[in-house]
Amino acid sequence: MTAPLLSANGVVKRFGPLTALDGVSLDIAPGEFFGLLGPNGAGKSTFMSLVAGLRPPDGGTLTVAGAGVAAGSASARQALGLVPQHIALYEDLSAEANLRIFGELYGLRGAKLGERVDHALDAVQLADRRKDLVKTFSGGMQRRLNLAAALLHSPKLLLCDEPTVGVDPQSRNAIFDYLQELNRGGLTIIYSTHYMEEATRLCSRIGIIDHGKILALGTIEELLARLPFEEEVRFPSTAETASLAQELAANGEVSTVDGVHRFRPKPGYPMSSFYGLTEGHSLPARLFTSQRPTLEALFLQLTGRVLRE
Amino acid sequence: MHPILVLVRKDFALFLRDKASISLTFIVPFALIYLFGQIYHVNSSDPGPSGIPVAVVNQSDNPAAARLVEALRAEKTFKVLTKFVNPDKTTRPLAEGDLRALMHADKFRFALVIPKDVIRPEDIGIHLRTYSNPRNAVEAETVEGILQKTIFSKVPELLGQSLQARARSYLGDARLDRFNTSIASAVAGAFGGDEADIKAHMADGELGFRRLDTAGASAPVAAQDSGDALSRIVKIDNVQVEGAGIKSPLATLLVGGWAMQFLLFAVTASATALFREKEHGIFQRVLSAPVTRGDILWSKFLYGICLGLVQLGVLFLAGHVLFGIEIGSQAGLLAVVCVFAAAACTSFGMLIAAVSPTPESARGLSTFVILLMCAVGGAWFPVSFMPEFIQRFSRLTLVYWSMEGFSQVLWARATLAELLPTLGWLSLMTAVVMGFSVWRFNRGRIFD
Repeated sequence: MTAPLLSANGVVKRFGPLTALDGVSLDIAPGEFFGLLGPNGAGKSTFMSLVAGLRPPDGGTLTVAGAGVAAGSASARQALGLVPQHIALYEDLSAEANLRIFGELYGLRGAKLGERVDHALDAVQLADRRKDLVKTFSGGMQRRLNLAAALLHSPKLLLCDEPTVGVDPQSRNAIFDYLQELNRGGLTIIYSTHYMEEATRLCSRIGIIDHGKILALGTIEELLARLPFEEEVRFPSTAETASLAQELAANGEVSTVDGVHRFRPKPGYPMSSFYGLTEGHSLPARLFTSQRPTLEALFLQLTGRVLRE
Repeated sequence: MHPILVLVRKDFALFLRDKASISLTFIVPFALIYLFGQIYHVNSSDPGPSGIPVAVVNQSDNPAAARLVEALRAEKTFKVLTKFVNPDKTTRPLAEGDLRALMHADKFRFALVIPKDVIRPEDIGIHLRTYSNPRNAVEAETVEGILQKTIFSKVPELLGQSLQARARSYLGDARLDRFNTSIASAVAGAFGGDEADIKAHMADGELGFRRLDTAGASAPVAAQDSGDALSRIVKIDNVQVEGAGIKSPLATLLVGGWAMQFLLFAVTASATALFREKEHGIFQRVLSAPVTRGDILWSKFLYGICLGLVQLGVLFLAGHVLFGIEIGSQAGLLAVVCVFAAAACTSFGMLIAAVSPTPESARGLSTFVILLMCAVGGAWFPVSFMPEFIQRFSRLTLVYWSMEGFSQVLWARATLAELLPTLGWLSLMTAVVMGFSVWRFNRGRIFD
């Protein structure tokens, strides 16, 4: 079995009375595109900051490429690149100057540094703007440069802490494409997000985190298989559907979110029975939509809350 | 409520929440007004500086010379020093031979010597010697003026003795005695009074010249004339101990003082840029690289020193071109002082960043402390003009020791060995302040 690139074992982090991470354990193998999915305040950024060595854990161990992160190991830091949530760039300097500074911090010099900077600018399609000040860039361009700055030293593990916050759809797609290309090239990526769609699109394995605990861990298929239903039916929560919702509760789980009922049938419950009930209430078929369950449904199942809360 | 009033109320609400603005609006001006008030002795019945150290060596056994020393002691502008303190804390009277070394060590900058031959039989007049280190022109002019006024107040008595001595050398004791008896008899006959008493006063030199005293309130025109006359009679030989060949003593103070003030603003702004880097998340990126918090802090420190060295260098060079500040052979030592001054300023900037919770509070606090430190540290006017309790505080400021260093190098032409105590104080301040700042940074949240 391949040794994990990142290994977290019972990691705890407290901020005063708040326990931000509560015994987080997970292994990430080389080449994985791992998603850390959870709502704001779940502990995603705290976990990323611990892996990046920005803070020491209060308990447990964290190793990157076999080296302990908490000890501030240079080899562990050299092995990882961090794409912070903020646009962590010097906006009064040019794109090239920024990359040179961050490259030099990782020990790159001379021709090798120039080569890496050229490559990074090409990769994020900013080569023609290399001499422009970062503050003149659009938000999407700044996000792309923010990503490029983390890759100059060819890390083994890339930590992306919600890297698409506030990014337009076009730039977001460009970032996704680039990350997938990097991952195909062998780069291990940990991607934290509270967007289920991003995690679903990008990640080969996902950990769902809330209140500092990993609630579920696995591939999308493995996670969805944990749901006790294969289909979810949604219909508006109105006076005319109220009695239907009450009746359905005996045959599965009914929850209401934002004025929409979600019915998740018990295993073995025949959907023909469901449609029979709707006809009995004279409700038109257009009110009902059926879909495969999503990670959001799993999160709801696990926590009783929707992901964006 | 009218929209204008609503918006005005909003501005007041924002203002009251902004501690930096409140500080700059009320506390900073109040502190400076108080300080200037102290310096100019506003509301004081006896304005002017006080307590400026002046050494007095009295070699004469003339009672009038002793009374001159007492008059100097009574003058609140001066703190008269007449004793030399030995290393074992015992004392002896100051000697003229001590003066140069003590002035070079900046124990005092002005000294008066009343020589044994303050009154010479061969001519009419009074002979005095002063030693000075006029490194601060404003202070020197003030001291010189008040010293002259005090001496002139005692001139009539000394001058009378001078005339008696001169007469004695021509007439001999017996004939002078007869002359004085005749004059005393004539005065007593014409104006009344006791003949023996008048004769005794004449022998002591009290010839009624007191009306010529320049301090007299009456007859100001006569006083002016008498002042000119006394200037010719009182012969004061001045020995300039330090900076005899220096053309621009005031420029050193001017350039050094303002350079320090703006260096403090510059390095503090640089240090408080830490807040902006935190807000931009740059520390997260930098600290995830093989870089430590210490690396970040010491890089700021080094940058501040380099910036300060360049800024001070450029400003002193401008002072050289514009005002003729003589750097010449002292350039190397000036650079050394600039490095130590810049290091102290940078550590101060780091302290402001370390203790301030927000960039706004850092701006308010730094403005307050910088202006206060420049005022009491001697960047704007001589420290000796301030009340003694403020002078004690002056020595705790990096501005004071930096200004000392500049003066020592450019005015007193000090050697490296002579500079060491000043550099030592600057180093000590830097070490203490920087140590505390690093400690605070490591326990604060700026790197979170």
